[in-house]
Amino acid sequence: MRETFTKGMARNIYYGGAVFFFLVLIGLTVDTVKRLPATDNRENLTEQVAAGKRLWEVNNCIGCHTLLGEGAYFAPELGNVYTRFGESTEAIKAFIKYRPVEGIEGRRSMPQFNLTDEELEELAQFLKYVDGIKTARDWPPNIQG
Amino acid sequence: MKYESQGIAKLYFIAAIALFVGQILFGVTMGLQYVMGDFLFPEIPFNVARMVHTNLLIVWLLFGFMGSAYFLVPEEAERELYSPMLAKVMFWVFLTAGVLTILGYLLVPYARLAEITMNDLLPTMGREFLEQPTITKIGIVIVALAFIFNIGMTILSGRKTVINVVLLTGLVGLAVFFLFSFYNPDNLVLDKYFWWFVVHLWVEGVWELIMASLLAYVLIKVTGVDREVIEKWLYIIIAMALISGLVGTGHHFFWIGTPDYWQWLGSIFSALEPIPFFMMTLFAFNVVNKRRRDHPNKAAVLWALGTAVMAFLGAGVWGFLHTLAPVNFYTHGTQITAAHGHMAFYGAYVMVVLTMISYSMPLMRGQKAANVNAQKHEIRSFWIMTISMVFITLLLTGAGIMQVYLQRYAADPLPFMVVQDRLAHFYWAREVAGITFLYGLFLYIYSFFAKGEEVADVE
Amino acid sequence: MKTDELQLKRAEISTLLSLLNLTALPVIGFVALLFIYKKTEANTIDRYYVMLGITTNLIAAIALVLVTGLMILLGGFDSPWTWVYVISYFVFVHAMFILFATWTMVRSWTGKKLTKSFLSK
Repeated sequence: MRETFTKGMARNIYYGGAVFFFLVLIGLTVDTVKRLPATDNRENLTEQVAAGKRLWEVNNCIGCHTLLGEGAYFAPELGNVYTRFGESTEAIKAFIKYRPVEGIEGRRSMPQFNLTDEELEELAQFLKYVDGIKTARDWPPNIQG
Repeated sequence: MKYESQGIAKLYFIAAIALFVGQILFGVTMGLQYVMGDFLFPEIPFNVARMVHTNLLIVWLLFGFMGSAYFLVPEEAERELYSPMLAKVMFWVFLTAGVLTILGYLLVPYARLAEITMNDLLPTMGREFLEQPTITKIGIVIVALAFIFNIGMTILSGRKTVINVVLLTGLVGLAVFFLFSFYNPDNLVLDKYFWWFVVHLWVEGVWELIMASLLAYVLIKVTGVDREVIEKWLYIIIAMALISGLVGTGHHFFWIGTPDYWQWLGSIFSALEPIPFFMMTLFAFNVVNKRRRDHPNKAAVLWALGTAVMAFLGAGVWGFLHTLAPVNFYTHGTQITAAHGHMAFYGAYVMVVLTMISYSMPLMRGQKAANVNAQKHEIRSFWIMTISMVFITLLLTGAGIMQVYLQRYAADPLPFMVVQDRLAHFYWAREVAGITFLYGLFLYIYSFFAKGEEVADVE
Repeated sequence: MKTDELQLKRAEISTLLSLLNLTALPVIGFVALLFIYKKTEANTIDRYYVMLGITTNLIAAIALVLVTGLMILLGGFDSPWTWVYVISYFVFVHAMFILFATWTMVRSWTGKKLTKSFLSK
């Protein structure tokens, strides 16, 4: 780089730029958090849903599935699974409940998590709540996720 | 090696490489599970293998960063490490915590692990990359604080250079942003939003500071180019990294229920994110071209150049490929993301740690550079691993494009699992590339033991 | 070979334009290269780099525009395989051209020509 551009100038761009854009990020974060009630489906965030989220976490579902596009890419997207399963929490529960313990020969299979009926309901309610989150352009692009 | 306490880095590097081997073994396992779904099922289901794969990566990179800092800081600060004892103790604490956590993943069902570690008291588990039990997370914070205290005290009472101050800033940022991993609200949108404050602000923020400073340090050493010139580049690179990367976090806020303005902000700022990586390439090319000496450690020079190039390709080009909102609408959460993730992590962070190891390991073993034969093997392993990773990336990109087309773009979209079956040939080829990578890694390890003629000093 | 300040400057601008033509300013960068070419004389460093920029970009145009065009024509617009090849190929080859242009730019800053061995002086 040319001599006219000094190290001092580079340093100032670094400090100035970093501080400025960090403040911008904080400002945008405050604004985003304020606007979230319009989209994040918090009105349906019941205790049952919260318990379902915990089950989602402690069974490491994200280790295979994506949820709103984030996670692993080994198993289907679940952000819209409620819609895909015909808006039926029963169908979701049945799917999870009847996974074969030893898997399916030669194919990918979801493990059998031995959840109780109450837990199955919580998990299904959680997935229903996630489906109710208003994502931009109604992502995912179609029902297949 | 000018200061005795720099030698502590060796311990960290050995652990890093050992865990790296574990990471790749599990990677190859998962690659096989992609095409042979019942492989190791139900003993090691995919989610467990993946958790081990990604967590080992994070842990060994942290070992690599810490080792690098312990080697670099005393020399830059021109004094011995503040407390070599603390560094050694923390090494064993971190290694024990890391190994126990991985064993926990493998030996008990994850839900049971959550129970044993009392996740209910402060639930933080079960989110991608942050799967560690809460108690491990607390351990990580303690180790990080002790480490930063040690490094910080060394720098504060020694010579402050741009390199060690930038490195320290990056490391402090790493520790601070990790604290967001303890925030896990029931509201999924909030959870996801702040989850990115760990993940994005690490890999597309403060880690770039760490990476750039390590690269700058090695380049000063191997090229003999004037420190003033290198420091100016360093500042401008990290300036661009933060200017683009902070608001660039927005490219993760397209489809998670966050306001629409992120579509614009995320697209525009993240489109600038390749710039710092491009500048790193320009920087590395430039100083190597202007070098004042031919360092006997040719392997280290190659790693340094390779880091710059592969980081630009993986993080820069492959990131840009799917970062614009209209494109990301189709590619979000597909194999395209996996392709980018693999090359970006390898190119930027794996390679920069291997660059530091390549440069410093011979010095810690009392040589100027590894012997001729060892370097030959190391250079061969560089090419095998790097080319394998290029193939892994290209194959996953191909799989991703096919997936997007069949599952999301076609007039008659097909279900996920049907599409996955059609991608099998991509995944088989990727598995071959993965095994080749593993071979390259074994060759890399062999290079440390290869005997041969000492290098001629051409200074 | 005679080299003076102006020629070095032109060499540097040529390599920058070559890079720009590959990235932010396609076609415009190439036209600018042609204008610089007219100002240069045979056997000078600026002629060398402006020619290198022109050739690089002509090859890049063939490799990127023509080859991908043919891929689409032969593969068909509606086949996913076309896009698998076109996108992977384009992204990778394009990046290779950018890296090459970057290296030539760095070389022009020291006023030296390219050498066969990447790391030789």
